[in-house]
Amino acid sequence: MNYKAVIIGGSAGSFQVVTRILNSLPKDFPLPIMLCLHRLKHVRSGFVEALSLKSSIPVEEPFDKDSMKPGKAYLAPANYHMYVELANRIALSTEDTVNHSRPSIDLSFITAANAYRDKLIGIILSGANKDGALGLKKVRDNGGVAIVQDPNECEVKTMTQSALQLTSVDYVYTTDQIINYLQKLR
Amino acid sequence: MMVSDQDYQLFLYALKNSSKYDFSEYSEKSLKRRILKVLTDHSLTMTALISKIKNDTAFVEKMVKEITVNTTELFRDPQVWQTIRHTILPRFKNNSVINIWHAGCSTGQEVYSMLIMLSELGMLEKARVYATDINTDVMDAARLGEYKYRFNLAYLDNFDKVIKENPYNYEEYNDVPYDKYFTLDKANDTIKMLPFLREKPVFKKHDLVTENNTLYVKFDLILCRNVIIYFNYNLQCKVFDLFHQSLYDTGCLIMGMHETILGAPAAKFQKKGHAYFKN
Repeated sequence: MNYKAVIIGGSAGSFQVVTRILNSLPKDFPLPIMLCLHRLKHVRSGFVEALSLKSSIPVEEPFDKDSMKPGKAYLAPANYHMYVELANRIALSTEDTVNHSRPSIDLSFITAANAYRDKLIGIILSGANKDGALGLKKVRDNGGVAIVQDPNECEVKTMTQSALQLTSVDYVYTTDQIINYLQKLR
Repeated sequence: MMVSDQDYQLFLYALKNSSKYDFSEYSEKSLKRRILKVLTDHSLTMTALISKIKNDTAFVEKMVKEITVNTTELFRDPQVWQTIRHTILPRFKNNSVINIWHAGCSTGQEVYSMLIMLSELGMLEKARVYATDINTDVMDAARLGEYKYRFNLAYLDNFDKVIKENPYNYEEYNDVPYDKYFTLDKANDTIKMLPFLREKPVFKKHDLVTENNTLYVKFDLILCRNVIIYFNYNLQCKVFDLFHQSLYDTGCLIMGMHETILGAPAAKFQKKGHAYFKN
């Protein structure tokens, strides 16, 4: 295994995609998965339960300084930024919103890219703003794998198109191809 | 743009040696981001920043205020406040005095949340409320008790959930008018806490990193929410020790929704719902 973690960012239109991905992973998926997904301001709870329903791996909203384990998904809690510290630890922050977002996908991706460098797989999904583009560039610049959901398949294309405008990527994949790629990680 | 590890160490060293502040055990990722913000906002290079830290004490005070994170809300995470109202405060109902410490109170929204709740429970009279922060500017704002209304529409929703509704009894509804506690000025876009609330708390500058309990009081309740996430593990342990020593045996600590006690200090507390009781 060449990788240490997967990070997925998404906004409007990404919930179904994330659900399908989590549903299709093997129970013994070998990496931790970080999920940084925007949600509506008033939807502060229930999100993790909704994602857990169909997921084949456990999904949790981490506590500050929790260490990440393979085969688990960590969802950025509502109203916190989620960073990756060295040694697989998660750090949370209530700093101001970045590009009107908290959690900020850029911040999660940038800190993950710094912690895991070329051992990180970053995936940007459907969304209605440009958050995540800078973060995916950082993943790519640090030698990690950059994947973007095929904009033609996205419910809202803005986020994936912004990423593609800002950085070269390794793959532009449909949801099925993303799932196939992740299933092959051994 | 990034703050390199070397620059980061030089920054910490300069601050520790030329001021009373020590950020060396702050959580690295967010501190680096805050440093970067200071550099950008003041158009400074790292070399220039470090030289200012060594020579300009007024700048250091200003910078510390800019570096610390001050996000807070009225009744942030209503479910936590519902727990405080219905299961935690009632424990102290028969005390002749209840001592409460808001550690890292920022602009004071949580202090007022507590005061409003104490008032609703008829416990305001016997409460002694202390609020501390490292940043005196935010405490000035807390004393003023005036907040932007439009950006905080959730405040009123939260107020309704915690003060008017009862999650344990859906039939109960307390129609408490907002103006019992604050005035809403829509023209000027502000919420202003009433004087009887503003006059209640004791505000005092306090640095959790370098100071012991300088309030010289023991507490029934300590609220320290979304503060320790900015500290590393060592510093967290130290702060938990301070809180443990500062609590009465029946006292409890309440932290942010996604904060927890890890490692050795965990044995000193027992977690019940959203609260950590002293063991």
